Amino acid sequence: MNTEQLLQQAETLLVAWNKESLRPDPTRLDAVITADDLRAATQAIHDANWGYLSAITGLDLGPEAGQMEALYHFCNGSAILTLRVRQSREAKAVVPSIAEIIPPASFFERELQEMLGFTISGLNNNNRLFLPDDWPEEVYPMRTDFKTAQAAPVPGRLADELPEEGVVGGNTFVVPIGPQHPALKEPGHFEFTVDGEIVTGARMRLGYAHRGIEKAAESRNWSQNLYLFERVCGICSHTHALAYSMGVEKLAQVEVPPRAQAIRELVAGLERVHSHLLWLGVAAHEAGFDTLFMYSWRDRETVMSLLEQITGNRVNYSANVLGGVKCEIGPEQAKAVKEGLNYLESRIRHYLEVVTTDVMFLNRTRGIGTISFDEAVKFGLLGPTARASGLVRDVRVEAPYGAYLRFPVSAVTETNGDLEARFVVRLKELLVSCFTMRTVVDNLPEGPLSVRVPRKIPAGEAISRLEAPRGELFYYLKSNGGENPARIHVRTPSLCNWVSVLEKAVGRQLADVPMLIAGMDPCFSCNDRMVTVARSGDRQNWSWEQLRQHGIEYYSR
Amino acid sequence: MKIGTMFKDVLESFFKKPATQIYPVEKVATSDRFRGKLVYNPAVCTGCCLCTKDCPSNAIELITLDRTAKRFVLKYHIDRCVYCGQCVTNCKFKCMSMSNEDWELAAIKKEAFEVYYGDDDDIKIWLEKLTGTNPLPGAVPISK
Amino acid sequence: MNTISALFSILIFPAGLALILVGMLYEWVDRKLVARLQNRIGPRWFQPFADMLKLFAKEQISPGSANPLLFFGLPIMALSGALTAALYVPLMGRPVVHSFPGDLVVTIYLLSLLTMSMGVAGWNTSSRFSLIGATRGLTQMFAYEAPFLLALLGPALAAGSWQISEINAYSANHWMILTQPVGFVVALIGLMGKLELPPFDAPEAETEIVAGALTDYSGRGLAIFNMGKSVELVVGLTLMASFYLGGVDGILVFLIKTVALLLVMAVFQSLLTRLRIDQTVGIWWRFGAIMGLAQILIMILWRGWL
Repeated sequence: MNTEQLLQQAETLLVAWNKESLRPDPTRLDAVITADDLRAATQAIHDANWGYLSAITGLDLGPEAGQMEALYHFCNGSAILTLRVRQSREAKAVVPSIAEIIPPASFFERELQEMLGFTISGLNNNNRLFLPDDWPEEVYPMRTDFKTAQAAPVPGRLADELPEEGVVGGNTFVVPIGPQHPALKEPGHFEFTVDGEIVTGARMRLGYAHRGIEKAAESRNWSQNLYLFERVCGICSHTHALAYSMGVEKLAQVEVPPRAQAIRELVAGLERVHSHLLWLGVAAHEAGFDTLFMYSWRDRETVMSLLEQITGNRVNYSANVLGGVKCEIGPEQAKAVKEGLNYLESRIRHYLEVVTTDVMFLNRTRGIGTISFDEAVKFGLLGPTARASGLVRDVRVEAPYGAYLRFPVSAVTETNGDLEARFVVRLKELLVSCFTMRTVVDNLPEGPLSVRVPRKIPAGEAISRLEAPRGELFYYLKSNGGENPARIHVRTPSLCNWVSVLEKAVGRQLADVPMLIAGMDPCFSCNDRMVTVARSGDRQNWSWEQLRQHGIEYYSR
Repeated sequence: MKIGTMFKDVLESFFKKPATQIYPVEKVATSDRFRGKLVYNPAVCTGCCLCTKDCPSNAIELITLDRTAKRFVLKYHIDRCVYCGQCVTNCKFKCMSMSNEDWELAAIKKEAFEVYYGDDDDIKIWLEKLTGTNPLPGAVPISK
Repeated sequence: MNTISALFSILIFPAGLALILVGMLYEWVDRKLVARLQNRIGPRWFQPFADMLKLFAKEQISPGSANPLLFFGLPIMALSGALTAALYVPLMGRPVVHSFPGDLVVTIYLLSLLTMSMGVAGWNTSSRFSLIGATRGLTQMFAYEAPFLLALLGPALAAGSWQISEINAYSANHWMILTQPVGFVVALIGLMGKLELPPFDAPEAETEIVAGALTDYSGRGLAIFNMGKSVELVVGLTLMASFYLGGVDGILVFLIKTVALLLVMAVFQSLLTRLRIDQTVGIWWRFGAIMGLAQILIMILWRGWL
């Protein structure tokens, strides 16, 4: 079914509750529904198996309008269905929780509660997600009338939420990990309840590295924001910048020249190589296989120096400008890219062999953390973690954007769903990437590098979805016609993947936990929302506490 | 199912040079496009200020001493700059470029992080004005 | 021998101070070899000495809930155990400092004293990581003691004595690595487990439990534990070299044989992934002990035939 048919299908599904239908874009359908009908509408979408919930955005329409809006984005291929629910700003803005129907929603809903002041009724876990414990009550940072002076910390509340340090009783005790721990690359707090070596429960608290980027974006102009969003994450920085640029270009209705799109795809491919090699090293280090760590990071230097030759920097490439790219690929760069890719491809094949045949490494990865296809769908997994369980969630294939229409990639999946499958998927993905990148370099279309984008972007809303190395990246941009954006919401892929790790950690040994965390390739910088599922024998509704790094990456942007 | 799959790599490394570079004794050459410290050429500047408008971190300030005579001084904060290169892209007259050799910018004093570009006399005049010793009539600084 | 020369050989050379210095040198060799195998440069020769000096200069922080006597006494006990065990092995190719029949068993147990001190040290504090590290360390010790002892028993049986100096003399004419290869392999792997070298470093898995049993140690205590570990390294290597590699009877021979062994251990360290604690125990109780026993049995039968 093509996009138009999918959207028609969605419209028919919602006919009972839909107050108003809008088509802002050929790929998007907005359906305005009331808060009371939300659950019924969501149930209908879920039962018909129409797509998956990708993100929930909260908007503050301002004190004059007196209302706030919650946008529930469902994605199916290229089609995006958004349910728009408006509530009054003053009267607590009650919206029912849809977490029982779609478990991953609890993450997003907790963010809405915390940042904007919605009241999500029926949500089990009302703990702070990103904001620190000593943030004052009833102060909502993402509201348009928020003043920094309101955010004075309330004394005496820090660390209150954390339970007392491991109580040794019987055979179980709690092992705290973080906020400072050599295993954590970013701060986060995890608590594992262990019985000997077996993990019986996991809790986590995120929010230690929140930077307020989303709020900061509202006071910078469109061009400045490009560099702000690039720094959401160091290793997926190009993808963030690309998602932002694509959103702005959609709003401004400019067409990026094909040469720029191809160069963007090339840099994105190199970034994927960079990211996966880094991840391979980190995961090997967590397993205790330091040699693989050293060698894969040595080979990562090759890709970083390629990126330096093309874009001018090894990390945070800043290759994009609004309307195109800054860096040209001449014959010299093309030659260097191809030589680099040849070397990298042979090394990647070697690592693939190591990872699939080394007996001792397989002891740490085979059969561990298995997630079945159905569980992957239920948890709402994204990216290579989902593809390892056979669930094809790859935006480059389902909803191709930019140069992927011209230079497509194929999705790589495995069926086992265990840690080994995740390694295999990522390495095979790199081989596909290398092949595609060679094709791009050999067939770069001619043309200008960028097109002019006005300083004042016309009013409207845009959604851009991209495939970051870790999964689907979702950007929602809203403009009021000015030089600064009105609202930018980012939903990063690692957020959705955490749930699976926590769920799978229970019952395994403590020694497997670092590998499980590494297996989902958490990007702590990107993680803006981590849902912590408190688990202590009884299953709660999605408030997973995470183990290991839970990098809170960022709270509100 | 093998054991010791990286044996070949490990064996070869005895005969290869180690991959570590002994910085600062050995320095890798940066590529031509590497974005190091910003360099400004006041001779071609027209004072349009497009560069300062789009800087994400307010790292550059253009001070106009005399617009018609094209006397400008650029104040550059090395510590605020994120080395993105947007100013270079924005400038239509090619006054800005990023050096690929000057990137070791750590310093122990804060003063080292404020750099002035321009004609020497112009800079002197501006600095004197700042400290109030020699006011220049009619000069209007463009600050952010 | 009179008291002065006895004290000298116990405290200064070849045991005691000289041994500590040699131990740190061997630690450097190990780190350098592993680094080169990983295509890196590795530390310079004075790194372990610099580390030790730095640790001595730092403040020692003791956790409030730890028993102070144990906290300060355990590192000393660990080091003394290792140093005492060294008195019975032919260090640096020189004749043993002291020797009596049955000193093989004493040496092995004195070496275990170090592991047990670390175990008690981990239990002593309230940190969760230390407790897990201590538990894993002691579990691993149970896994390795038996196969290691069995593997050292082989040469002892062949030499017909429990005295290390006599076994050493016997080995000079018989290279037991050739006559008892299985025993050699078991002993080598057993030694790596005893020293908690990767892949058997689950008790101090940095990415899981910070630093294992020694998490709460800093300053002098940590420095002394580290010295104990490096002494254990030298003693273990000397034992292996004197039993299986044709004895040590001169400083040059000692150096060559022990460094060759260290090279083999470094290759193992870099090739293999860390094993989980249940996997190490599983593998070694099933295969290690059986192989060790089998070797002894073969030897006994062989001798019986002769």
